[in-house]
Amino acid sequence: MRYVVGYTANARGHDAVHLAVALARNHDVSLDLVLVIPEDSPFNAVYPPEAGYNDILNEQAQRWLDEGLALVPDDVTARAHIRRGDSEAQTLIDAAVEFDAAALVIGATNSGLFKRFTIGSVASSLLHSSPVPVALAPHGYHRTEPITRLSCGFGTRPGADQLLDVAVESARDRGLPLRLVSLLALDGGNSPGLADAAWVHAADRLAAVGGSTEGDRSGEAGGSGEVDGSVPEPEIVVAQGRTIEEAVDRLDWEDGEILLIGSSRLAQQRATFLGTTANRILRALPVPMTVVPRDYTRQSS
Amino acid sequence: MSTAPKTVQSKETSLSEKGLKAGSVGLIGAVVIGVSCIAPAYTLTAALGPTVSEVGVHLPAIFLVGFIPMLLVALGYRELNNAMPDAGTSFTWATRAFGPWIGWMGGWGLIAATIIVLSNLAAVAVDFFYLMLAQIFSNPELGELSKILPLNIATTLVFIALACWISYRGMETTKGVQYVLVAFQLLVLGWFAVSAFAHVANGTAFDATTISPDWFNPFAVDSFSSFAAGVSLSIFIYWGWDVTLTMNEETKNPEKTPGRAATITVLVIVIIYMTVALATLSFAGVGETGLGAGNPENQSSIFAVLAGPVMGPFAILMSLAILSSSAASLQSTFVSPARTMLAMGHYRAISPRFGKISPTYKSPSFATIAAAIAAAGFYVITRTVSENALWDTITALGMMICFYYGITALACVWFFRAEAFRGARGFFFKFLAPLVGGVILLVMFVKTAMDSMDPEYGSGSSVGGVGLVFILGMGVILLGVVVMLVMYRLRPEFFKGKVLTRA
Repeated sequence: MRYVVGYTANARGHDAVHLAVALARNHDVSLDLVLVIPEDSPFNAVYPPEAGYNDILNEQAQRWLDEGLALVPDDVTARAHIRRGDSEAQTLIDAAVEFDAAALVIGATNSGLFKRFTIGSVASSLLHSSPVPVALAPHGYHRTEPITRLSCGFGTRPGADQLLDVAVESARDRGLPLRLVSLLALDGGNSPGLADAAWVHAADRLAAVGGSTEGDRSGEAGGSGEVDGSVPEPEIVVAQGRTIEEAVDRLDWEDGEILLIGSSRLAQQRATFLGTTANRILRALPVPMTVVPRDYTRQSS
Repeated sequence: MSTAPKTVQSKETSLSEKGLKAGSVGLIGAVVIGVSCIAPAYTLTAALGPTVSEVGVHLPAIFLVGFIPMLLVALGYRELNNAMPDAGTSFTWATRAFGPWIGWMGGWGLIAATIIVLSNLAAVAVDFFYLMLAQIFSNPELGELSKILPLNIATTLVFIALACWISYRGMETTKGVQYVLVAFQLLVLGWFAVSAFAHVANGTAFDATTISPDWFNPFAVDSFSSFAAGVSLSIFIYWGWDVTLTMNEETKNPEKTPGRAATITVLVIVIIYMTVALATLSFAGVGETGLGAGNPENQSSIFAVLAGPVMGPFAILMSLAILSSSAASLQSTFVSPARTMLAMGHYRAISPRFGKISPTYKSPSFATIAAAIAAAGFYVITRTVSENALWDTITALGMMICFYYGITALACVWFFRAEAFRGARGFFFKFLAPLVGGVILLVMFVKTAMDSMDPEYGSGSSVGGVGLVFILGMGVILLGVVVMLVMYRLRPEFFKGKVLTRA
């Protein structure tokens, strides 16, 4: 299996490589570092005309990619590619399709001066159009140890079952504990009724997808029950808060955790979903997040 | 878990294929690119007045003659660009031909010319920005705001900063926008000419002047000084045209498109220049009072004065055309000095910091900001010491173009000296054309430089009894010499010919 890493020679690119290494170590995955350099539009002609800038840019890109590869430890296979394209997001998608990649890994944060806490423009366009899951590394992600737990953000939107499918299979393939997370933003603070309903719904769907799965009912952390000793049973947690951020804050997150959430690609709600909810989750989330396209069925490995 | 060793397979270098854009530009597209590089609406408003002040009614003649050295030099430029494609262009070529010292000054001249045009573009954009506000709100006082020095300087710096930021981010004008901008410019200039001729026919022109064949006779210009000044100004009006000649892979038919596009572009441009020049002269005459094209008050930006009386309420279209085209040029022109500085940094001719590329936007980061600071500084200085900054910068710009283009043309002659005599084609394109063109430009440069010492030269601004144009032009070149000597002390390896060797 291959992951395409959107590499840039800055903190954002380093975050992406770290996360990609962590993900690769859980599974037999090789990494493709792709550095996108812009293509001059002939309609924006440089005057006086010159024809050598691309050579300099290309040399620089090679050096940047060497630095990027140096971040990858020896136990992970990595290749580097320079790609040309107007849109960084589209070029990464094209590379992912060409390599038949199972995921795209990028740094989420914008490196711009005033945009420290928002999703960068590349990440945001990828979330709107990527046909493969997009893993977003949070700002300053340094961990390269394998992922230790998989969380799956779970709601009532259409497509939740497919997402659950992906989550259950991913966790099984990697031998990771799975946690279903239902985030409730309630103006009035805690609401036991709604939380219960969310829990029951989650357990219900999990049973439908995973077959004989029984959740360990606990609102707090640490209540996962081991059944066969190999893979623990999925845990279900409902987190509440006045806002999504607060709900995310109230959950405990392991250092090596990753959150899987569904995107509503090309769906009508996509603007709202990605513009606000995903953005807000990401802002509060201390761990990486993978956004799975709505109609994505997992690539068999 | 994989324990496979890290294999760094071949990093795919997709440099040879020049990207997806290959073959994307047809004949019309190439003409649009050529016209947009010239930016005729901006060029005319900036250069028409100063040229009239030099040659009077012989404006059409000078506009025609000015194309000849441009054509000759552009042919040599194309040969160099094909033989030695390099981001440093004139800098690299002159270094390869004449060694590091002349090469360095060639690069400096190119950077200086583009920096000067940047500050002029921003200033013209600001003038028309306020003029347009005045037209939108029917309040002439808003147009007068551009004459308040601190406000004018502040607005110009904002425009420069914006263009720098856009260029730094690597944002580009798209094909569609470029088509619209070019079509709009040509339409508005045509409208201006037709309205002007209509006024002449109706007897409502300011100073109806009958067109005479003598206007087309360059030998009727009263002195060689005026002729030289006029030619170096009209080099500026064709500056940009040769972009079509150097297009290759991006055209659908690299054999034929560039040549045909260059021919059509120059026809379009000459027709529009002739029409507008004749319309202006026959409507306003060259008198030195009122709307006359000879009135020094009008000469820094002729359309700012004439568009209203000629086009009536539609003058706002002229403001819009000039504002949009100069803003677009401002953004695209930033790329050039930045890349030349980047190349010079790359070859260690200046601090390697200029060779830095932004990892996020993949644009020359340090050099782009340096270009903006230089353009801003140049504008602030010119505006504060000159009574007529626009006029003086355009004249200084003409000089600077003659300087670096002259060096480039002679570099072509010298570089190809061995192979130039192997055939008629090579003899003409690599030797004769650039030699004649280069000599003409350098003669114009020297003559203009000598004349401009006169405090009455150009707009009549002077510092310490010496004409401001001389101070600007020669000052910039002398500054270049000083910086070059400092660089020689700091990083002698380039000047010892260790980085770029002479061919």
